[in-house]
Amino acid sequence: MEIKIQNVGMTYPSGKQALKGLNLELKSPSLIGLLGPNGAGKSTLMKLLVAALMPTEGRILADGAPLEKAERQLKASLGYLPQDFGLFDELTVTQFLDYMAALKGIKNPKSAIQKTIQAVNLEEKAKSKIRTLSGGQRQRVGIAQALLGDPPFLIFDEPTVGLDPEERIHFRNLFSRTAQERLVLLSTHIIEDVQSVCDQLVVIHHGTILFTGTPEQLIESAAGHVGVFWERDEKQEQGLHITARVNTSQGIRCRAVADKLPPYAQAEEPTLEDAYLYLISREAV
Amino acid sequence: MKAMRLFPLELRRLLQSRLTWLMMALTVASPVLGLVLYKPADSTTMLSMYLANPALAGGAAGAILFGLLAIFELDRACRSRVDILTDAVVSPLTTALTRLLALLTAAVLTAGLTMLVWLPISAGLIGSVFTGADYVLAYLLLMGLALPLGVLAAAAAYQFTRRADLSIVLFIAFCALSLTVWVGDWQLCWLNPCVWALSDDFSNSRIFRSVAWMRLTWLSALAGVWTLSYLCIRQYGKGMLGSLARSARRIYRPAIALALLACSGAAYAAQPFIDRSNPDLTVMSFYEIPYAEGVTFVRRTAQVFPDTNAGTVTGRASYQFQNTSGQEQSISFGITPGYIISNVKANGTDVPFTVSGYQEYNEARLEVTIPAQEDVELTMEYSGFPQESLPTMQGGKELSSEYLCLENAALSPRVMNVLPGEAGYPAEIEITLPEAMIAIPFGSSRAEVIAENADGTRTWRYETNSAGGILYAGDYICEQIEAGGMTIEFYYGRKHQAVMEEAGAVDAVKAVVDYCTEHYGKLSYGAGDTLKLIQSRVAGGGYAANGASLLDEADFTIANLKDTSKGAVPGEIFIHELVHQWWGLGNMFDDSDGSPWSSEGLTVYTTYRIVKELYGADYAQKYYVDQWQQVVDDYYLNFYVRHPEYLEMLPEAERLNIAGSLSGVRRYNEMPLKILKAEQLVGGEEAMDQILHDLFNRELDPMYPYLTYQEFLDACHLTEEDLNLG
Repeated sequence: MEIKIQNVGMTYPSGKQALKGLNLELKSPSLIGLLGPNGAGKSTLMKLLVAALMPTEGRILADGAPLEKAERQLKASLGYLPQDFGLFDELTVTQFLDYMAALKGIKNPKSAIQKTIQAVNLEEKAKSKIRTLSGGQRQRVGIAQALLGDPPFLIFDEPTVGLDPEERIHFRNLFSRTAQERLVLLSTHIIEDVQSVCDQLVVIHHGTILFTGTPEQLIESAAGHVGVFWERDEKQEQGLHITARVNTSQGIRCRAVADKLPPYAQAEEPTLEDAYLYLISREAV
Repeated sequence: MKAMRLFPLELRRLLQSRLTWLMMALTVASPVLGLVLYKPADSTTMLSMYLANPALAGGAAGAILFGLLAIFELDRACRSRVDILTDAVVSPLTTALTRLLALLTAAVLTAGLTMLVWLPISAGLIGSVFTGADYVLAYLLLMGLALPLGVLAAAAAYQFTRRADLSIVLFIAFCALSLTVWVGDWQLCWLNPCVWALSDDFSNSRIFRSVAWMRLTWLSALAGVWTLSYLCIRQYGKGMLGSLARSARRIYRPAIALALLACSGAAYAAQPFIDRSNPDLTVMSFYEIPYAEGVTFVRRTAQVFPDTNAGTVTGRASYQFQNTSGQEQSISFGITPGYIISNVKANGTDVPFTVSGYQEYNEARLEVTIPAQEDVELTMEYSGFPQESLPTMQGGKELSSEYLCLENAALSPRVMNVLPGEAGYPAEIEITLPEAMIAIPFGSSRAEVIAENADGTRTWRYETNSAGGILYAGDYICEQIEAGGMTIEFYYGRKHQAVMEEAGAVDAVKAVVDYCTEHYGKLSYGAGDTLKLIQSRVAGGGYAANGASLLDEADFTIANLKDTSKGAVPGEIFIHELVHQWWGLGNMFDDSDGSPWSSEGLTVYTTYRIVKELYGADYAQKYYVDQWQQVVDDYYLNFYVRHPEYLEMLPEAERLNIAGSLSGVRRYNEMPLKILKAEQLVGGEEAMDQILHDLFNRELDPMYPYLTYQEFLDACHLTEEDLNLG
């Protein structure tokens, strides 16, 4: 599966420009983390990729064919978990997945449903009505419907929201395994999720791509721009982006990113979160 | 097609919803409203009361319920945000089409279920005149097709607005239009078809065809509107117009919508059932056409070939005129709207003719120029589907293998402006009918079979003397009854045989005719030694002329024959209805003002007298006089009779209902008691018989031929106060 995004821009009827001049190539197998602050254009990009929106500029190619013409083929090979979705409450988990399997045209739905139910740890709730499920369980049903039929292209928007830490790790690993032979696009605010599994990162801000590359490359770009210091005076924080403030018995220990670290700050090895924040903060300046 | 593949899935999901089952259950139960609350068919035939009304109520309620279900279901996916998941898999257009198909299928299943549930109930209520064909057609057309219309209308409203609240308002307004503003327009009232009566004893093909036409017109219109709304389904984050522009790129989609709307428009404009007669009934311009100068009528012959399957008529007519004017003359004919005239020849040569667009009293005007020859034989061919004038009382021009009625110009073009010759308007009519049908010319003429055809039809011929003429034909039973010094030919529908036998119809006819002829005199419209009593298909009343009288089937239904206000047992109610030949038709009453004096008073009294003669004074006293007295005593004790000011305070519908009931009591019970009192005051039964005989045979004022209460009182030398019962 190969997706090419060429000079894509998206302006809503309200006049709001959500994306501008976006160029990107996504190729399987890969697990791509999509990062960006709220309103950066991540959801718009994902809606464009699932053909819920049409770009106002540029074009998207799916396996070489323009999305307008290949919409049906794209939908047939897509698994999508939106951030905000609903389920038919009156159906059981199995019935709902059966419904989605039929929509997707899966030929052997029974085994596919069984497989995904196992994958998302919902065996015990397979015959329960959806209205009886907790928020985390509903999220797992959402993930299950995306995984149904082993689609070659998966898009997950904040998939671990509502899941407990154990489940988050489980799904992180699941996504990683899934991406071994497919193209997976993972949008999340939780840097930890991305750091541990993604082999490629895309950072979007204000509708443009700030970074594409591996997590290591992003971390490397922040080297020498992350430091720690003891907070003595509020004026110390001017020109810095504080990423952490830890209260200790000796005082407040601050971690910050900046283009140029002040002399009182001690340089530190950047984490992915630092690098991301550095990137965003640099853009803000 | 993906929608078809997904359809079973969506249907299964729909049927897993409790709301769907609730709506289905309510729809299945809704025909009960037609038995107790919503009764648009006001005829008293069994099929009107126990089939048409339940089916119409079921259709109206079901369409509304399924419309609301459609809005709820379409909105649910959006409201619960499942559409985000489904739209990522299949196009929202496909989903919408699949959901529509599922809803339509649920509607069809519900209609089928309703038919199954109501089959034994309807059969039980309707009794011996129940037929499966009427049942299936009534539930299919009056109810079944209403449900898809409701679904289409509601789904279109939702797809246009994408708001449940607004869609409900629009849908309910659309339903309300049909139930109020459009209620009198048979083509517009999509929810509640204009069905005023269904016949028990004869066929209902005409009214079923009319409803089917209306339903299909609306089905096409709403399918077109739905297709337009389908193009407006929001896609790619666009608004209504943006989505429309996007969806319309596939040109076949708007083309289908426009084709459906065009079909609907064409069906609306080209409806074949109702003519365009001038609604102003005071205009009679066709009677003002000047007679053709020097032209007299010699003879008319017509060969009529009804197609009882298609409901159409084909005919050839020939007219012989004597034209002594020495000039060409324009002859006018009345033709039934719906007929097409062709091949008009005078003495074998084509002559020019025109048919007016203007119509009056269910006739259009055909004008033909005849040559300046003395003897002219004008021939023409005509064919078509005879149209009617009253959209809210359709069925009069029923034409099927069970029944037909061809009146005047529907039989053959009617000469309008030619004076009769010495022999009047002699005519010889031949009509070819299915084997089971008997031809009954209305009047003294007698039809005879002149040919048994190879295709199983029979050709009948009769002679008459009129420019028009009425012919009834149907699957009739004819009873020959000698009574009152004449032969009564009593024709009634074969389906009604069991009811007629239970009511002792033949004996009742004999008893009534013997009694009334002896006591009041012969009927003025009796022609010589014979009188035809013809049971007609439900028509809203009967009429009589020249040796024949029409009995509306609604007067002889099982329900009416059990109406104890008219007699103790069905046979006596049959007597009551026949007595109306003397008091009602033979002598007319102005029944329009709701006053206690009507045709019912003397009819109930005469029925009592006949029953007294048949079964003795004690029986008549017990089942008639005592019954009247009891009802009248209750009437005088009625709260609203004692305090009429409170009646005026009630809501109009309630007031009219109570007033109608009280009026019935006065007509059927108080007035017979007053006549009985008059009988005592004038000196007994013999004296009263003489008075009634004189009134029956009095000279009529042609301007006001009704028998009034004052005339009755004057004849008895009594005043209103003399007959007070208090």
